Amino acid sequence: MAEVHVIGQIMGATGFSESSLFCKWGIHTGAAWKLLSGVREGQTQVDTPQIGDMAYWSHPIDLHFATKGLQGWPRLHLQVWSQDSFGRCQLAGYGFCHVPSSPGTHRLECPTWRPLGSWREQLARAFVGGGPQLVHADTIYSGADRYRRGTWGPGAPPDHRLRP
Amino acid sequence: MNPREEKVKIITEEFTENEEHADVGRRKKNSKAQRRQRKKQPPTTDPEDMVSEKSHNGSQQEPAQEEPETHLLGMTAKRGPRSLPPIPSASRTGFAEFSMRERMREKLQAARSKAESALLQEIPIPKPRRLRSPSSRELETEFGTEPGKEVQGTQQEDSQSYSRVKFRDPVRKTKSKTQAPPGFPSAEEAYNFFTFNFDPEPEELEGKKQIKGRDGSDQEEESGEELPVQGERKWFGDDGRILALPSPIKPFSSRPPLFTPAQSIKAELETLYKKAVKYVHSSQHMIGSGDPPGNFQLDIDISGLIFTHHPCFSREHVLASKLAQLYDQYLARHQRNKAKFLTDKLQALRNAVQTGLDPEKLHQPLDTTQKTINEYKSEIRQTRKLRDAEQERDRTLLKTIIKVWKEMKSLREFQRFTNTPLKLVLKKEKVDKKADEEVYEAEIQAEIRELLEEHTEAYEQKMEEYRTSHQQWKAWKKAQRAKKKKKKQAAEEDLDEETEELPAEEGPVKPIPPEPTDPAAIEQRVRERAAHSRRRPGEPMLVPELSLAGSVTPNDQCPRVEVLRRDDVKRRSVYLKVLFNSKEVSRTVSRQLGPDFRVHFGQIFNLQIFNWPESLTLQVYETVGYSSTSLLAEVFLPIPETTVVTGRAPTEEVEFSSNQHVTLDHEGVGSGVPFSFEADGSNQLILMTSGKVSHSVAWAIGENGIPLIPPLSHQNIGCRSALKRADAISSIGTSGLTDMKKLAKWAAESKLDPNDPSNAPLMQLISVATSGESYVPDFFRLEQLQQEFNFISDEELNRSKRFRLLHLRNQEVPEFRNYKQIPAYDREIMEKIFQDYEKRLRDRNVIETKDHVDTHRAMVAKYLQQVRESVVNRFLIAKHHFLLTDLVVEEEVPNISILGTSLFKLAEQKRPLRPRRKGRKKVTAQNLSDGDIKLLVNIVRAYDIPVRKPTASKFQQPSRSSRTFSEKHVTSPSPHSPTPSADFPLSQVLVRPFVEVSFQRTICHTTTAEGPNPSWNEELELPFRAPNGDYSTASLQSVKDDVYINIFDEVVYDILEDDRERGSGIHTRIERHWLGCVKIPFSTIYFQARVDGTFKIDIPPVLLGYSKERNMFMERGFDAVRSLSDGSYITLFITIEPQLVPGESVREKFESQEDEKLLQATEKFQAECALKFPNRRCLTTVIDISGKTVFITRYLKPLNPPQELLNFYPDNQQATAELVARYVSLIPFLPDTVSFAGICDLWSTSDQFLDLLAGDEEEHAVLLCNYFLWLGKKAWLLMGSAIPEGPTAYVLTWEKNHYLIWNPCSGHFYGQFDTFCPLKSVGCLIGPDNVWFNIQQYDSPLRINFDVTKPKLWKSFFSRSLPYPGLSSVQPEELIYQRTDKAAAAELQDRIEKILKEKIMDWRPRYLTRWNRYCTSTLRHFLPLLESSQGEDVEDDHQAELLKQLGDYRLSGFPLHMPYSEVKPLIEAVYSTGVHNIDVPNVEFALAVYIHPYPKNVLSVWIYVASLVRNR
Repeated sequence: MAEVHVIGQIMGATGFSESSLFCKWGIHTGAAWKLLSGVREGQTQVDTPQIGDMAYWSHPIDLHFATKGLQGWPRLHLQVWSQDSFGRCQLAGYGFCHVPSSPGTHRLECPTWRPLGSWREQLARAFVGGGPQLVHADTIYSGADRYRRGTWGPGAPPDHRLRP
Repeated sequence: MNPREEKVKIITEEFTENEEHADVGRRKKNSKAQRRQRKKQPPTTDPEDMVSEKSHNGSQQEPAQEEPETHLLGMTAKRGPRSLPPIPSASRTGFAEFSMRERMREKLQAARSKAESALLQEIPIPKPRRLRSPSSRELETEFGTEPGKEVQGTQQEDSQSYSRVKFRDPVRKTKSKTQAPPGFPSAEEAYNFFTFNFDPEPEELEGKKQIKGRDGSDQEEESGEELPVQGERKWFGDDGRILALPSPIKPFSSRPPLFTPAQSIKAELETLYKKAVKYVHSSQHMIGSGDPPGNFQLDIDISGLIFTHHPCFSREHVLASKLAQLYDQYLARHQRNKAKFLTDKLQALRNAVQTGLDPEKLHQPLDTTQKTINEYKSEIRQTRKLRDAEQERDRTLLKTIIKVWKEMKSLREFQRFTNTPLKLVLKKEKVDKKADEEVYEAEIQAEIRELLEEHTEAYEQKMEEYRTSHQQWKAWKKAQRAKKKKKKQAAEEDLDEETEELPAEEGPVKPIPPEPTDPAAIEQRVRERAAHSRRRPGEPMLVPELSLAGSVTPNDQCPRVEVLRRDDVKRRSVYLKVLFNSKEVSRTVSRQLGPDFRVHFGQIFNLQIFNWPESLTLQVYETVGYSSTSLLAEVFLPIPETTVVTGRAPTEEVEFSSNQHVTLDHEGVGSGVPFSFEADGSNQLILMTSGKVSHSVAWAIGENGIPLIPPLSHQNIGCRSALKRADAISSIGTSGLTDMKKLAKWAAESKLDPNDPSNAPLMQLISVATSGESYVPDFFRLEQLQQEFNFISDEELNRSKRFRLLHLRNQEVPEFRNYKQIPAYDREIMEKIFQDYEKRLRDRNVIETKDHVDTHRAMVAKYLQQVRESVVNRFLIAKHHFLLTDLVVEEEVPNISILGTSLFKLAEQKRPLRPRRKGRKKVTAQNLSDGDIKLLVNIVRAYDIPVRKPTASKFQQPSRSSRTFSEKHVTSPSPHSPTPSADFPLSQVLVRPFVEVSFQRTICHTTTAEGPNPSWNEELELPFRAPNGDYSTASLQSVKDDVYINIFDEVVYDILEDDRERGSGIHTRIERHWLGCVKIPFSTIYFQARVDGTFKIDIPPVLLGYSKERNMFMERGFDAVRSLSDGSYITLFITIEPQLVPGESVREKFESQEDEKLLQATEKFQAECALKFPNRRCLTTVIDISGKTVFITRYLKPLNPPQELLNFYPDNQQATAELVARYVSLIPFLPDTVSFAGICDLWSTSDQFLDLLAGDEEEHAVLLCNYFLWLGKKAWLLMGSAIPEGPTAYVLTWEKNHYLIWNPCSGHFYGQFDTFCPLKSVGCLIGPDNVWFNIQQYDSPLRINFDVTKPKLWKSFFSRSLPYPGLSSVQPEELIYQRTDKAAAAELQDRIEKILKEKIMDWRPRYLTRWNRYCTSTLRHFLPLLESSQGEDVEDDHQAELLKQLGDYRLSGFPLHMPYSEVKPLIEAVYSTGVHNIDVPNVEFALAVYIHPYPKNVLSVWIYVASLVRNR
C-alpha cells in the first residue's frame, strides 16, 4: 500500500526565444500506478514577461497516486508553446523529467528541445509560424531510443521547478 | 528454392552465356581488387602510383570515388543506348604510346565534347553525387542482383561510355570557366587531372568529399572480418608504437547534414509540420461534438446448441456423436475433394514436363527449359506426396467410419435397444474394372518412373560428391602418410569409422561410394504404398450416407437403467446467457434437452451498444429438474469485423467444453469419468462434456441502410491519441490480442520498433505467430516482470477502502462528493459507507415503484434522472473551467479619486433622509459552511385575507344579501351567532392572520395581526443548509427546496369549563386554520438574489368556515381596481444573506445544425437588442434536449390538443381555450435550472414534454401556444419576467379586440390591463415565423402596445433584408394521446389516500387520530364536482350541504389541487397546511383524494383535508 503525493508547481520557463509562453503538461505513470485524485494533465496560462525573460506560470500540480510497484515511476512531460501576436500557438519545446523519488522539496530544471525540421520548415516557421511537431508525442517520455534525436536542433532550456 | 540460390544460378548462367557480361563482371572484380589493394597501401596518394595503376588497368578509375561509378551505371541504365562521340576508341587502344600531355589534351577534349552532348540531350540532371544514399553503393557491391543485372544488360553495348560519362558532370561545370585554347590545358587543369579531381568545386566541399571517401574505406575496414593480426609481422612499428589502424572515431562530425530526414528517421520520430493554430476554446465537452452518436447495434443470432458429449449420453450416443463427427469430416473432405484436385494437378504437371521435353516444341534455350523442367519435377514430387497423404487420410477416414458404425451395430445388438436414429448406409458405386486397373497401373508406372529418375539423379550427384571427396581424402591420406608414418593403420580406420558422420572440416574422411538404386525395390515400395492408401482396382467405390431414418426403441421396451437415463435427460434444460463486455445483457429462454441432445433456440438479440465491444461471451447453463442451475461452459464469440452486417453473416459453430465431473447412476456415461465399451472394462475412455453453439454475430443495419458500426478511428486530442496507438489493447481491442493476424497487422501498421526492449514480448509473440508455428502461448504480457516486482497484489489494492473512498470522492460521486477527512487506515473506515452507493449502483436499472405509485411516472423519473446524470457528467469538466476572477481576488489599490470620495463621505449625513440602497458584497460560494447563509424573509402586508364565517350560519342559508357591512366590521360578536357562547368569546375581529414561513423544515412565524388587510412588517431569518454541506455553485443550484409562506388564522377558543372561574382565570386554546400559501422555490431566490413584490396567495377554492369579502367593496363602490381581483395578496421581500454569486451558465458554445448565416444573424440581432435594452430578454436560439442550438421559431407550430378536451365545449371557444390551458397547467412543473443544475435551459419539444410529463415555463408555454395556434387563435410566445418566477415565458393571444396574457403554469389568464397580472415586463414576442423584440420605452404589459406590425415599436428578426427562410419545425406532425387508464388512476387514488392518512397519523405521534368516515365520503363525493367546475362557484352550496349533513361539527378544511408528479410533493403540501397540528382531544379528521385522469397520463389530484371538532 504505497501512496505517493505529488504536489508542486510549474514555476515558469526561461531561455526561449519566444516571449509569450504557456505549457501543456502531463504526468505519465506505469500500469502499476493508480491515480486516486487530482488531474493528470493540464495547461497553464500564457505569460508574457515584461521584466526579464522568465515566464512565470506558478501552475499548481496536485496528484495522489497509489501504487503496487515501483516500475513506471511518475514522469512529468511538458510541452512549451508560444503564442504570437495574432494569438496563434506554436510548439516551442518538448521536455520530460522524472518526479524525484525522494520526499522533500525539489527544484527541477527540465531542458527542452524541439524538432528543427528541414530548412524549408525552418523558413516557414520564421515567417508564417507553426513548426514541425512529433507525430507520436509519446516518444518524448516513453521511448528508449531518444538518443537518435541527435540530429535535431535543441531548444532552449526552460526552467521548470517542481516541488514534490 | 530460395532467392539466394536463384541469384547464384542466374549469375553462373550469365557467365557462360554472355561474353560481355563476363567482361564487365571481370572488370568489376578488378576494380574491387584494386580497391582492396589500395586499402593496404598507406593512404598517401602518389600521382605516379595512380598513373601506373591506371595504365595497368586500362580503364580510368577515379581512386576516391566509387559512388560516381555506380551513379553512372545508373545513369546509363536510365538513358539507354545512344550514339558514341568519335574520340575514345583511339584513346583506349593505344594510349601507352602517347605522351602524357597528348593524353591529357585528348581527355579534356573528349570530356568537353561529352559534356556538350550531354547538355544537348537535356536530360534531367541527376542529384549531386554527394547525396547518393548508401543503398546505391550496395548496388555495386552486391553485384548480380536484379538491378545490377539490368545495368549490365544495357551496359554491354558500350563499355566505353563508362569512362567518358564520368567526366561529363564536372566538365560541364568547368566549361564555362576555362577559356584556354583547346588542346592546351592550363596548369590547374593538369594538376586536377593528376589528382583525379575534375571537380572545380569550392575547397570545403572537396574536403568533405575526400573525407567521405575515406569514410567509406574506413567503414570497410571496420566491417572487414580480418583482424590486423598477422603472425609474421612485428607488433611495433619503426616509431615504437603499436601498429594499429587509425582510430575509427573522428574528432569531428563527418556526417553530412541531413536534408531528407524522412528516410533516416525512425517512423515513430516522424514530425509533421503544423501551422500555427489559433487556440480556440475547444468545445470538446459539449454534447455530441466529436463523439459518435452512440447508436450501434450488434445482432447476435443464437440458433441452437448441440452437445457432442453430455453426461447423459449413453454408450450408443457416444458412438453416434463420434460417427456424426466423422461423417461431418467426411462430408467436408468430400466437398473439398483435395485428392482429386491434387491428382489433376499432378496430371497437368506431368503433361507439362512431357511437352517441355519434347524437342520439337523447344522455343527457349535449352537450359531455361531444363530449369523449368527441374522446377516442375520438384513440384511433381511435392504434389505427389501431398496427394498420397490426402488419399490415405480419405481412406482411413472411411475405414474409421465403417468401424465405428460396426461397433455401434454390435452395441445395439448387445444392449437390445436403440437410442439413436442414426443409420449408416454404404453405397457401392460400380466401376469398370478394366479401365480402373489400367489407370491404376499407369499411375504406378509413372510414379515408379519418376522415382527412378529422381534416384538416379540423386545417385549421380552423390557419385560426384563421392569422387571429389575421395580425391581429397586421397590427397590428405598421402600427406598424412608422409607426415606420420608411425601411426597405425588400424587406429586410422577407427577414426574414420567414428567420424564418418562428422563434417569434413575435422579432416577428410574416407568417403563411401553411394549405393546404386534398385528399381525393383522402388517398385515394391510404390506398390505397397498404393495398396495402402488407394482404392484397389476394381474395388467398388464406397460412399457412406448417414441418415436419421432409424427408429428409437420406445421406453417400455428398454431396461430400467435406460429408462432412468431418458427420464433424466427430459428433466434437463439448457439456456444461454449473453455477456457483452463481461456483463450479462440478455439470456435465451430455457429449453428442454431433446433426446438427441440438440437444443434449438432460434433467438436473435439486438444489442444496442455504447462501449466499444471488447468481449462477447455466451454462457451455457444447465438446469436439472427444479434444482439450481449450473454453469456448464463459456463460449467466447469473436467480435465481427466491421464489414459483417446482418444478413451477410454466416452461421458459425463454436465449440465449447466443460471440465465438470459427473457420475450418474444410470445408463448415462457421465462426464470426466472413465468408462469403457468393452465388457472387461479395458480400453477406458474419458469424455468431457462438450458441444457446439451455432450462432451468427453481425452488425445491424439502421433504418436508412447505414450499418450501425462504431467508427474505427477513435479521434482523440492531444498526447493521448499517440498513446492510444502505441497501446495494443486500446487500438485493436482485447479481442484483437487473441487474433494473431490482427496483432501482427497492428504491429506492422504502428511501426513498432523490433529492437525496443519494451516491445520484445510482443515481437516474439508476433514472430511466433507469423512464422507459422502452431505454438501460441496462451498468455500475453504487456509489461513483463511487473508481477515480480509488485509488493502488493491487484486484489489487495482494489480492496483498499481508503483508496476506493479517495477515488470515488475524486470522481465526484454524489454520495462522496464532499466527503472530508478520509481516515489514513483501512480499519478506520466503516464498511457501511459504501452501502448506499452500492445499493444505488445495483438499483440503477430497477424501477422503484415504492415512491412512484404508477409505473409510467417511475420510468419517467428514472429517465429524467439518467438524463440529468449524463448532462451533469458532461458538464462536470466545464464546471472546472475557471476564469481569472474566480481564482484571483485582488483588492483594488485606492487611487486619488476613491480617496476623494471617501473624504467627501465624511461630510455626509449619518442617517440620510432618503437613504439609497447600497450594493451588497457578493460572496463566492467556496469557503462557506453550515450556518453562514441565512434566508431573510420580510413579510410586509397582505390584502384581502378571507374572513371567518360565523358558525351560526349552519342554521340558516347564508346569503350574500344577508351579510351586511356591520357584520364584517363590528367588534362585537356576530349577531348571527345564536348563543354568545364559547365559540366566539374573543372574536373581536373577523380574522387574526399570521404568517408562517417554513424552509427546510425550519419554521418561523410572525406575530398575529388583525383584520383582513393585515400589516406585519417583520423580518424572519431562516438558516440555510446546503445538501451534504457542499456550498459549491453546482450544489447550490441544485437545491430543490421551496420556501413555503403559509398564512394562518389564529382562532382563540375559551375552554374554561366552569363559568365561576371566569373572573379569576383564563383558559383558552389557540387553534390555527390554514388559509393559503405562497410557494417560492429556493432556486428562484438564488438566481435572482432577491424576490420582491406582491404575490397572489394560493387559496383553496373552498375554505370551510371562511369566505372572501369580495362583493363588499363592490357594494360600497370602493377601490374598483382591487375588486377586479378575486384573490388575496401578500407583499414580500426575500433575499439571502450574504448575497451569493449565482452560477453562470456554461461558457461554451453549442454546436448547431442551423445555417451559419442564420446563426450569425441571431448573434447580431441579440447584440443589437442587448445594446439598446440590456435588461429585456431577447431569445432567438435555444438549446434542445440533445444539446444543440435550435432557432426558436422552430418550436412553434399548430399542434392538436386532446380530442377529449375539444369535445367538452364544442361551441364555446373561450371555454375550450381555458380548458386547454388548464390541461397544460396540469403537467407538472419542473424547472430546468434545478434539473440541469444551472447549466443551461434546455427546451424539449412538445412531444418530449408530454412524454416526460415535466418541464418548466418554456415547455408549458410552447405547448399552450401550439394548442392556441391549432385552435385558430393568434398566439405568440411572450418572453419576459414575472414574479415570482423571474425570467419566464407566457403566452399572448389576441381575442377579437383585446389581448390576453396566459400563465401557462397556472392556467390563469389576465387582460392586458390587469394590475395583478404577475407578468411585469415584456422582452420579446415569438411567433411561428418571426421574433419581435420590444423597443418601446416601457416594458410593462400595461403600458405597451402589442401590435407587432409597427416596426417602431417592435424590432423584427426576419425583415425585408433577411426574409424568413421557411424553417422546418422540430415539433412532430401531430401529437398522439393515449387515454389514461381509469382503473390505474383509481388505484393510484386509493394508494395516495392511504399514504396520506398514514402520514398524518405519523405526524401526530402523541395523539390518537380518528377518521370520520361519514365526512370522508361526503368529501369524496364533492371532489369530482370541484374538478368539473374547476374549483369555482361551488363553495356556498357545498358548505351548506356539508353543514346540513354533518350538523353538529365545527369543521375546518379545504381541498388542495395539484398536478400529479410524485407522492412527495403531495405529502409536503398537506404537511405545510398544518392540519395535523390540531390537538383538540376529540378532533376527528377527514381526508379524501380524487384523481381526475386526462389524456396522456396527465392527472389532476384533489386532496380534501378537514378537521372536525364536535360542538358540545
